Amino acid sequence: MVGNPNAGKTTLFNALTGQNQKVGNYTGATVSRKSGTFFTPHGHKFELIDLPGAYSLDPNSPDEEITRNVLIGDQEDEETPNLILCVLDATHLERHLYLLIQVIDLGYPIVVALNKTDSAESQGLRLDPTALSERFGVPFVAISAMTERGITQLKQALRHPFPSPPGRLWKGPAELEEAIKKSTKLAETNRENNPAASGLMAVVKDNPEAKEFIQKARFEYIHRAVEVGLQRPNEELLALTDRIDAQTLHPIKGWCIFTALMITVFWSIFKFAEMPMGLIEEGQETLQGWVRDFIGEGDFQSLIVDGIIAGVGGVLVFLPQIILLFFFISLLESTGYMARAAYLMDGVMNKVGLSGKSFLPLLSGYACAIPGIMATRTIPNNKERLATILILPWTSCTARLPVYTLIIPLIFVGALQQGLALFGIYALGTITALLAAKILKPRLGETEPSQFLLELPPYQNPQWRHVLRQVSERAFAFIKKAGTVILGLSIILWFLETYPKSDSDDPIVQQSESFNGQIGEIIEPVVAPLGWDTRMGTAMIASFAAREVFRSSIAISYATDEEDGKELRDKLSASTHSDGTALYTPLVGLSVIVFFIYALQCLPTTVIVRRETGSWKWALSQLAGMTIFAYLAALLVYQTGKLLGYS
Amino acid sequence: MAKLATDLELDSALTLSQAAIGCDFQIRQVEGPACSQLRDIGFCEQMRVKKLTNGRNMLCTVCGTRLALSKDLADQIQVVPA
Repeated sequence: MVGNPNAGKTTLFNALTGQNQKVGNYTGATVSRKSGTFFTPHGHKFELIDLPGAYSLDPNSPDEEITRNVLIGDQEDEETPNLILCVLDATHLERHLYLLIQVIDLGYPIVVALNKTDSAESQGLRLDPTALSERFGVPFVAISAMTERGITQLKQALRHPFPSPPGRLWKGPAELEEAIKKSTKLAETNRENNPAASGLMAVVKDNPEAKEFIQKARFEYIHRAVEVGLQRPNEELLALTDRIDAQTLHPIKGWCIFTALMITVFWSIFKFAEMPMGLIEEGQETLQGWVRDFIGEGDFQSLIVDGIIAGVGGVLVFLPQIILLFFFISLLESTGYMARAAYLMDGVMNKVGLSGKSFLPLLSGYACAIPGIMATRTIPNNKERLATILILPWTSCTARLPVYTLIIPLIFVGALQQGLALFGIYALGTITALLAAKILKPRLGETEPSQFLLELPPYQNPQWRHVLRQVSERAFAFIKKAGTVILGLSIILWFLETYPKSDSDDPIVQQSESFNGQIGEIIEPVVAPLGWDTRMGTAMIASFAAREVFRSSIAISYATDEEDGKELRDKLSASTHSDGTALYTPLVGLSVIVFFIYALQCLPTTVIVRRETGSWKWALSQLAGMTIFAYLAALLVYQTGKLLGYS
Repeated sequence: MAKLATDLELDSALTLSQAAIGCDFQIRQVEGPACSQLRDIGFCEQMRVKKLTNGRNMLCTVCGTRLALSKDLADQIQVVPA
């Protein structure tokens, strides 16, 4: 088995041989020799040798030398192969065909495994294995080793009798042909294992002119073959991509488009989610009404209505917004725009010591910090990767949306203002994250300059199936979280809110005497400078388990209030301090929002950071640092606002 | 004669970052710390490359694929006019 590095040889080797593998060393070399056995559907047993990856048979490394030696029959203790299985990466076909055409020159029976055909299709490449088979005179089998598609057909193609060797596909001038003939005859006389191969290589070795001619002849053949066997995304599509890129990658227009797109996304999240959110809220209230009718008044009714339905429903109501955010992220990815955004952002990222490679993990962070942190594995530079992980939780994830969308309408009216406010929140988190990277990066030690290399796929219609799958996966994950973690925490929060029971009938006294009330009393001196009351303080403590719990906690603590039937937001607007002044003023709202932009309230994120950085030091420093920063920022906002005369 | 041809070709080689926009080139050599990474993505010896934009990050096409790469990386790719 031969192929370029990263052609997917090892995956195919594993798919073909399963557990029947042996790993050893080639005689006299530290290069490992991997072999395995498998049976074809016709019952023939094959021994498959996974030769080291090579770009060409003109070796540049010990690995490539082994491959060359085995193929020309010059490797000690290794028999000349009976058949060559040549693995080509369909997404880089033109480049990989060069190795195939070299192998064909050696005169072996060959079967080609055209790997990664699924990726090629998704890139818009249209492959014609039949046309390629005709051009090269060897069978091409389209496979995907990763998904094991086409493995059976490949095994069927590896049957006796082996396909006959196609012979050289290029012809040299008479002088060169004569030299090859003579050299091959000499190799036969010397009883070389593969006289044709040895003869050709001997001619090329001492004759750079011949080598150049042969290289060019091979590439010319490949270009002609590819014209019929591979259709690239059509010229129209490429021209369209050129035209769109001229705008989207323009230093000024590109940024305008990027900003306009982002504002549209955030505006849409508010606008289009209004109706389904209203329906969910109505459904929640109807359900609460039914439960009240069915179950008599008491603790059990309170648990179901005020604990479970209010807590879980309070989070589920944001499902439409989360679906919309993921829908837009998937849509931008699927159309090919996301790579352009990374290209645009590289300049900005570079100013803070990162590269465009950090942009995609940071962008994933807007959906959820965990996949974002895992996506930093693609950043080759370790220091850049660490800096990206450390700042990533400041890109606002969807778990913060329930908090933002609860508070924003208390400050701003109208979908456009609310959308702009949400955009501002995301921008503030991002800008702070980038500034933090600029401060952090030089302190993480010396590092090599970042190198930016990115493929820009042609623009295409969205792959709706892929978009819908991603959105539904995320939506189900959110519903699962609401049904498990949030449900459990809602029950605990309800318990803390309800017990111990008070003798008084006044709900305010009942609440202040409950566990939650007691915790709130302890936390009040800490949160009072932020303008918060005890309920917000306890909700903030609870939200360190998961951010969405802030909303559940607030919902549960206000569910027992007298104004049943009112929406939570109206209850918050109407709530007052004991002296009658409004509690949720715009300034308090801002203070809550600022705290949530900066606080790292997500235990799973801390666990993942520990795993990815390999150290609790970084994970805990990040948790402590972000919490302190969040507190100080909220304090600064509230106190400065008060000094300026805002309420 | 052959040596002269090779020398001439080497003399006319320039890095991808020096190459002119809109022209077709052939990759002569990929050499530098990131050469393996560059080959993996398609910047392989003998491949044809077309440069689309200049700048700190430049755009080019290799075998129909559009790629963006930094100047540091483009400096590691030697090209000759195709």
